[in-house]
Amino acid sequence: MNPVALYNHDAPISAAQQHQFDPYEMNGGSSLVIKGADYCLIASDTRQSDGYKINSRYVPKAFKLTETAVLATSGFSADGLALFKKLSQNLEWYKHAHDKVMSTPAIAQMLSNTLYYKRFFPYYTFCLLGGIDEQGRGVSYSYDPLGSYGAEPYKSVGHKNQQGVQRTDMSLDTAISIAKDAFTSASERDI
Amino acid sequence: MDSIVNKFKRSTSTWGDHNMLVNFDVTKEFSLPSFDIPPCHNPIEFLKHNTDEKSNAECRIKFKHGTTTLAFKFQGGIIVSVDSRATAGSVIVTQNIRKIIEINPYLLGTMAGGAADCTFWERELGRRCRLYELRNKERISVSAASKLLGNIVYSFKGMGLSMGTMVVGWDKTGPNIYYVDADGTRLKGDLFSVGSGSPFAYGVLDSAYDFDMSAHDAAELGRRAVYHAAHRDAASGGNIHVYHVKQSGWENLGFRDFDDLHWEYQDQPKPSIIGDVQPMMLNIQD
Amino acid sequence: MVTRLEQPRGGFNFDNFQRNVSLEQKGIRIPKPIKTGTTIAAIIYKDGVCLGADTRATSGPIVADKNCAKIHYLAPNIYCCGAGTAADTEFTTALISSQLELHRLTTGRQTRLSTARSMLCQMLFKYQGHVSAALIIGGYDVNGPNLYSVMPHGSVDNVPFMTMGSGSLAAMAVFERSWRKDLERQEAIDLVKDAIDAGIFNDLGSGSNVDINVIEKDKVDIYRNYYKPNERAPKEKVYKFKRGTTPILKESIKDILVITEGVEAMDIS
Repeated sequence: MNPVALYNHDAPISAAQQHQFDPYEMNGGSSLVIKGADYCLIASDTRQSDGYKINSRYVPKAFKLTETAVLATSGFSADGLALFKKLSQNLEWYKHAHDKVMSTPAIAQMLSNTLYYKRFFPYYTFCLLGGIDEQGRGVSYSYDPLGSYGAEPYKSVGHKNQQGVQRTDMSLDTAISIAKDAFTSASERDI
Repeated sequence: MDSIVNKFKRSTSTWGDHNMLVNFDVTKEFSLPSFDIPPCHNPIEFLKHNTDEKSNAECRIKFKHGTTTLAFKFQGGIIVSVDSRATAGSVIVTQNIRKIIEINPYLLGTMAGGAADCTFWERELGRRCRLYELRNKERISVSAASKLLGNIVYSFKGMGLSMGTMVVGWDKTGPNIYYVDADGTRLKGDLFSVGSGSPFAYGVLDSAYDFDMSAHDAAELGRRAVYHAAHRDAASGGNIHVYHVKQSGWENLGFRDFDDLHWEYQDQPKPSIIGDVQPMMLNIQD
Repeated sequence: MVTRLEQPRGGFNFDNFQRNVSLEQKGIRIPKPIKTGTTIAAIIYKDGVCLGADTRATSGPIVADKNCAKIHYLAPNIYCCGAGTAADTEFTTALISSQLELHRLTTGRQTRLSTARSMLCQMLFKYQGHVSAALIIGGYDVNGPNLYSVMPHGSVDNVPFMTMGSGSLAAMAVFERSWRKDLERQEAIDLVKDAIDAGIFNDLGSGSNVDINVIEKDKVDIYRNYYKPNERAPKEKVYKFKRGTTPILKESIKDILVITEGVEAMDIS
């Protein structure tokens, strides 16, 4: 028998789908944060893509919030920008109300709340917050889209079953080199 | 449907509003924060489609989930023990999440389900407990605190919140454990375990539990129960945190790395769960 | 009623087609095949044809192969660029090239492009687009240089220049700008290179290097990685774990002695 005759042409290949409200888009991109004893390094690429096409080769996704805090986003670019604007506005109000700039750990909590206020219509963003705290130490936080966050404590390359890994503090120069290598490596395998 | 949506739309809260700094309104202290609702026909379906892995495997927004948590009463108070792994979809997002939330010096909350839901609402619970204290000049009971949380999440019923939590503390009546989840269930009990690793934890807990054990043994039992759960449950792991709730408030007994515990336990003799009990004689012929 | 089990006759097996459709409807995710997510381009110039392709193969957002070859051999005087599902393009061209070889042995003549074209489009039409191979066939036969494009459903076009794959628009823009009749050999190579380059940089499904293949009368030049615009910068640091990083938990050494007794049955499979 001809194998083609085995097809049932009446069988629906995919079920009928109702059109849905879909306000999200995945614009890709990578960001990373490395914190050290007295510094924090934030890096991100600048490509904005949509599927197989490039919208722009220069749309930064890391934003300066204060002199000591930087927000790095990825996911839906428009949501990232909206989130940044909202945070900036809140920081401005805070400055006028309290006559001081918000500390980075406080910004971390504010970012968490800001994300959670959109619990039922989430920002499609994956955020990283890096900066310097009031004692001059490097701090970094990572977020899920709903606002759950954690200050990643001491974390070094290597894994649990590799007990021989030397856990040493990284200098800023080393961190920069590693960040560059991370991005060149990522671009080799991520479209 | 629309009535639920409108309820949240109209709630005129001052949260996140800069006017709060100028016009402080006491009556609004207990109002719920206002949440953005997607401008579409069915916001709940929208949320399900985009965030619920169960109804849509390819949903875009996968948020962090918590896993094995347990709490039990014993003669010296309460032991709370949890793991520290957070997963989003099939990815381990972090091995360092805090699943015991310190609501205040004598109240603890645990996290299972959506991490953001638990942290946000237990933080809000902490705020309300503090207000209660200031108003009534006494500490809130565990029962009342858990009811506050239960009432909040119940008001969001059907909106997709995901949390299974234990509110644990010591009040006038002694040590108390309440289980509260996003469906609105609120249970008082002596021993609970919540999360995907809970069946394994219950197994260990039930077989070795003794009310009269020492604080040291109780802490070790809690640690071991979570260890065994983390060993069998892919979504649990990381570090194992243990807290001891006493009359004077909770005490953090620190945390141990799961892998370190694994090698440590492997060198020890297996706990005598069936102990000295004689093996049952099976008489098949009769 | 089935009275006798039929021997499998080779070719595609559709036994699980209905099952897979129903599984898919129930929401089970079907594993994704590797797509070549490609830019392929070819032109006819004065003395022959020039084929070009990028070298990236993707699986969703991941680059599966950084330097794959998308210009396939069909006959000594015919080559073929493939876009679509990697396995489909490779196996379709391999199958047809083997049939063409047999055809040459039977007829004793050089293979004509139209023969290759017909065999490919008949096969693709038979499978109604389920074999997702989009091909550009280029070669030189008794009728001179020729170019055919074959779509996955089996439609064919005879053209002077063609681009295909996800980067086809970028590449076609270059051709539409600069293509003219009777280009010189080097001009043709440069133009195809530029077209593929446009695909590499503007289409995320294409990337890495440019492969070029030039076919003239009785002469084929294969320039694998003709142009490499994406060479990896050297890493600034060395990421190697020191010896002893992974602890040895247990060590046991055993002497293995293999004893075979009797006579083993011969493998006749």
